[in-house]
Formats: sequence, structure tokens, C-alpha cells
Amino acid sequence: MNALAILLARVYEWRWVVLPPVAGVAMMAMIVGALVAAPREIIEGEVQRLMYLHVPSAVTMYAAFGFTAFASVMFLWKRDMRWDAAARGSAVVGVFLCGMVLATGAIWGKPIWGVYWSWDARLTTTLILFLIYSAYLLARSVAGPLDEQAARFAAIFAIIGVADIPIIQMSVRWWRTLHPQPIVFQTNPALPGEMLIVLLIGFIAIFALATWLISLQTDTERAAQRVSALRAEVDHREIA
Amino acid sequence: MTTEGGGTAVPAIDARALTRQYGGVTVVRGIDLTLPAGSKTALLGSNGAGKTTLLKMLSTLLTPTSGTFWIQGHKVPSPRVARSIGVLGHSPMLYEDFTPLENLRFFARIYEVPDAEARIEELLRRVGLWLRRHEQTAILSRGYHQRLALARALIHSPAVLIADEPETGLDPEGVALLDEMALAAPGLTVLAATHRIDHIDAWATGVVRLERGRVVEDTSSVAPLTEGATA
Amino acid sequence: MSVLMAVVGKDLQLAWRNREGWLSAMAFATIAVLTYSFAFDLATGDVRPLLPGVLWTTFLFAGVFAAGQSFQDEVDDGTFDALLLSPVDPTVIFIGKLVANLIALLIIEFAQLILATILFDVGLLTPQLLGIVLIGTIGYVSLTTLLATMGGHVRGRSVLMPVLALPLLIPLLIGAVRATGASLGLEAGTGPWMLLLMVFAAWSTLAAVLLFPTAVEQ
Repeated sequence: MNALAILLARVYEWRWVVLPPVAGVAMMAMIVGALVAAPREIIEGEVQRLMYLHVPSAVTMYAAFGFTAFASVMFLWKRDMRWDAAARGSAVVGVFLCGMVLATGAIWGKPIWGVYWSWDARLTTTLILFLIYSAYLLARSVAGPLDEQAARFAAIFAIIGVADIPIIQMSVRWWRTLHPQPIVFQTNPALPGEMLIVLLIGFIAIFALATWLISLQTDTERAAQRVSALRAEVDHREIA
Repeated sequence: MTTEGGGTAVPAIDARALTRQYGGVTVVRGIDLTLPAGSKTALLGSNGAGKTTLLKMLSTLLTPTSGTFWIQGHKVPSPRVARSIGVLGHSPMLYEDFTPLENLRFFARIYEVPDAEARIEELLRRVGLWLRRHEQTAILSRGYHQRLALARALIHSPAVLIADEPETGLDPEGVALLDEMALAAPGLTVLAATHRIDHIDAWATGVVRLERGRVVEDTSSVAPLTEGATA
Repeated sequence: MSVLMAVVGKDLQLAWRNREGWLSAMAFATIAVLTYSFAFDLATGDVRPLLPGVLWTTFLFAGVFAAGQSFQDEVDDGTFDALLLSPVDPTVIFIGKLVANLIALLIIEFAQLILATILFDVGLLTPQLLGIVLIGTIGYVSLTTLLATMGGHVRGRSVLMPVLALPLLIPLLIGAVRATGASLGLEAGTGPWMLLLMVFAAWSTLAAVLLFPTAVEQ
């Protein structure tokens, strides 16, 4: 276990060297692929190209929130505030990605469905997730960066939130389908080869970008913790 | 003074390297403490020295950032510790909406005190609240709150009393009661933070002084001369 | 066991002594129903399609706003510390608060059901509907009681509570509204919705009971 931790720490140290170029190159490849190289979809037209942004963002969003839950569990176990910083960092990026999914979904949907929002089960669940993790960030930020008790509450909230996700998905899907409703959104079941390649590049790009942003945000939270600790130490010395 | 070896009694409180950090500030730093059974130790130090934090840790309300301690030989956390400890904190810890009688009845039940009604009556009479036992706690004066808190702290006959400035709010008669029932009571180990230096001679067998979270003076390991504790 | 009874009894007694707080929640619920009546013009026509939504949003808002007060009082009095110091298992502390909140909210909900029966001329006091209300309430009380422990020292706590609780409770809202609608004859079966409600109630209570000790550790 210790050897693994050391290995992971070393890998983590290399993030500034690895992540920016990988993310940059992959993003450019994705943009080129999405706008130029990928074939035009017959039914939906140019708007469909948003898929290369929408789908990877959705998957990466789940990964980010999953990491928030993981970091929350680690925090409750180890009581190390660095895990709180990591949980907040990935939650910020997750909320951002969530917003991307909702926005691209709305822009994609307008020409196809005629409306920006159709209460589709998946998008509705995404909206609920957006609310849950925004609430998490809001509740956590009301207290100071080093408030251990607030961090613990936030971690518990994040864990409950993640555990609730499958139930939310199930209930929203039942809400939509057990009620007579025209089904308006379907993913294309079989994508041609070129689209799949661009989609794969898109996954790599968004994932690399998200990892980079999460590590940046985590470092920011850590810095805020250190500032708060320094301030407290100075105050403590002045009084005592 | 430790638990090993024949002839030495188990210390009431035995703490090693207790440390507590709050938001980046180390409030209590590597404190070692050994209090013999039956000893009465005054915890001294200026405001912010870490007395309340140390007491909260020893009473198991606060988890130390690092370090370990034993209460009556049981390593904390342990389910046996709660019954051994009585706590008189800054706040009286009483249900303001209940009467003194209801308060003590509740605490007697959750501590599973045997022969509760008799014990409750005994305590209420001693602290002078028997005749007022049906009044709402909220209307009692600060002094009577403290007396009731004392009854609450002692209702389960703990072996160890941890107190944070217990004389606060008490008139001289109340202080005498505090001495008689707790601070100077035979057989009860006491660790009490106090600012009343003049009063210490009446009850304390030793002193621990804290400054900036560290122990700077410690005469607590002097065993008391009362029966029941071996030196 | 007798310790459990003592703690539950204590919480029930406290809830009774502090009934003004619960009466305010009752007043809020009543006003909410009336507000909905005007907002959705429930005076005319068949109100049954709207009733489940009106009732359950009222119940959830009342529950979310009222949950925090009992904990706050104990924290302020310092008795929460006294409980944590005692041999009592933290889980028992939680169950005491849960039962007291549950009973108080069930009373408020029952009163609203009576009110709505009178106002809208709809039979709401059937055993099936009461069963739905019971399970739905258990579902949301566990989570709101747990979240209420988080409020302690946070400013703007009263606004934050609904923001935290309501997104998590959406499955419960969906299940409860649909089940209530089905029991009023608005749709086919209560089956899947009752399943959802029971799963949610079981999950939320289990999660709350398991996480409470971690939440209150200092």
C-alpha cells in the first residue's frame, strides 16, 4: 500500500508536465475532428457535432462527482484536510462540466425538438445533480477553508448525494416513462467509424482537461487552507 | 508513574502526547499527564493556554489530533469510559425546559443509575433544590444552575470528575458545597481548570500549569494521602 | 432498551414543551395550502390532479423548515454534549430526534389532510393514502433530521436547509405524488410508486442512521 501511495505521489508530481500538453493537443484534435473531419449527420445536421462535447462531458462529469465521493470517504477516514480540498476541487469541475452538458444539451435540442428543454430523463437527472453539487459547494464555502466540522458535514452530504444518484435516475425515468409521453430523444444506436474516433478523442480531451482543472482547483483550495492556517497562527501568537 | 509493576495503582488519567489542532493552529501540544487515583489537580493557565481544549479531549468530547490516553486503565475510546467520567463544563448542560427533577431523572436513566429516585432526592437535597424540584430549570439563577449541574455531573457516582471553572456563578455557600461534594470529596479524582488561585489550597493536591498548549509546571503526580490510593 | 425509551421519551417531551415551534410549522403548512389554492385557482373544477403536488410540496417544505429546531435547542443548552458524553449510543440519540420529528410532522400532515378534504371536497382520509403519507414522511424525515445536525454554526442555515435537502428528496417527491395520485384514481397503479417510496424510506433511514455518529463527532 505504501509503495502504491509513493508511486501515485510521483505520478501526481508530473501532472504539470503531462496534463497541459496532452489536454491541449487532444482538445485541438477534438475540435478539428468535430468541426471538420467527422461526417455530417444526415438527420440532425451540423448541430449534432455538439455530441463530441456533450457526451464526453457527461461521462467525465460522473467521474468527477465519483471522485468527490471517493475523496469524501477518504477525508472521513483519514481526517486529512487535503482530501477535503480534493473533494471541493473535483466538485467545482464537476459542476462546470454539468453546466456544459446542460448547455450543449439545450443548444442541441432546440433545432431537433423545437424546445430548449424537454424534460428528458437523462437531462433532468443531470439538472438535479447540478443542484446537489452546487448545494454541496455552497454549504462548504459558507464555512472557512479549514473548518473541519463543516468539511465533515460536506463530505457526508456528498456521500449521500452520490448514493442517491441511482435512485434519482430510476425515479426520474419512471416519472417520464410510466406516464404517457412521446419519447423525443434517442442516442444514435450505431455510429460510423469516423464519428467514433472523434468521440474517443473527445473523451481523452475532456478527461485530460478535467483532470488538469481538478488538480488546479485542488491546489487552489490547498493554498486557501494554508493562508487560513497562517492567519490563524498569526492571530494566535498575537493573543497568546 | 505508570500502570506496570506491582504495588502501583492504575492512574485515573494517563495521557501521552495529546495534541489538538484547530484550523491550522496547534492549541494543545504534546501533553503528557498522569493523575493518580484519588488525586485532586488544579489546571492553571491564562486564557487561550489550551485548558478547555485539554479538558474537552480528556472528557472524550473532542478527538485529539494525535496522542492517546487512558481513563482508569481503559484506553479511549472505550464504552466503559463514559460511566467513569463526570463533567462540569462551561455550560451547565441542562434541559432548560425540564424541571430539576426531570433533568436528573433523565440522566439517571441514561446512566442506568441503580436506586435512582433515592439518589436523585439525596443530590437535590444536598444542593438545595429539593423544594424547587418542580420548577422549570430556565428560571433558576446562575448559581442554582451550577448546583444542578453539579448534581448532574455526580449522579452516576463517577470515579473521575473533569471540571472547567466550576466555581463560576457560585456563592460562598455554593463553593463550600462544591468542595464537599466534588473538589475535596474523598476517593474522587478531580481535574479542574480554575482561575481561583486563592481557593486551590482548600482542595488541590497538585497543580498542572499550561502555557501556549504546553505543560510548564506539573506537581500532579504527588499521590494523595487519603486511604484507598497507594503511593 | 430502557435507555432508548428514555431518550425517545425525552425528545417527545421536549417537542411538547417547545410546541410553539411546531405550531408555527403547522401554521406555515396551512398557509401554504391556502396560497396554493389561490395561486392555482383550486376553487373550481376537478382539483384532484393538482392535489398530490400541493400536499407533498407543503409537507416537504414544512418538514425541511422545522427539522432543525430540536437539534439547535439541544446544542444551545449544551445538552447535546451531555448526551455525547453519556454511555448512550449516538444512534439512539438520532432515533430519539427522528421519532419526535416524525410524530410531530405526521400530526401536521394529518391536519392538512383534514383541511384539504374539507376545502376541496375530496376523500383524503383513506387507509391507503394515510399509508402513503406515513412511508413518505419516514423517507424525508430521516434525511432532514440528519441534515439538521449540520446546521449548527452555519449562518443562513434556514435558507441552506431546503437547498441541501430538496434535491436529494426528489425521488421521494416523485414517488409520493404519483402514489397519492394513483390512490385518488388519477392513474393506474400505485405499485411501482409504493416500491420507490419504500426503497427510499429504507435507504434514507439506513444512510442517516449510519452516518449520524460520524456527523456529530468533533
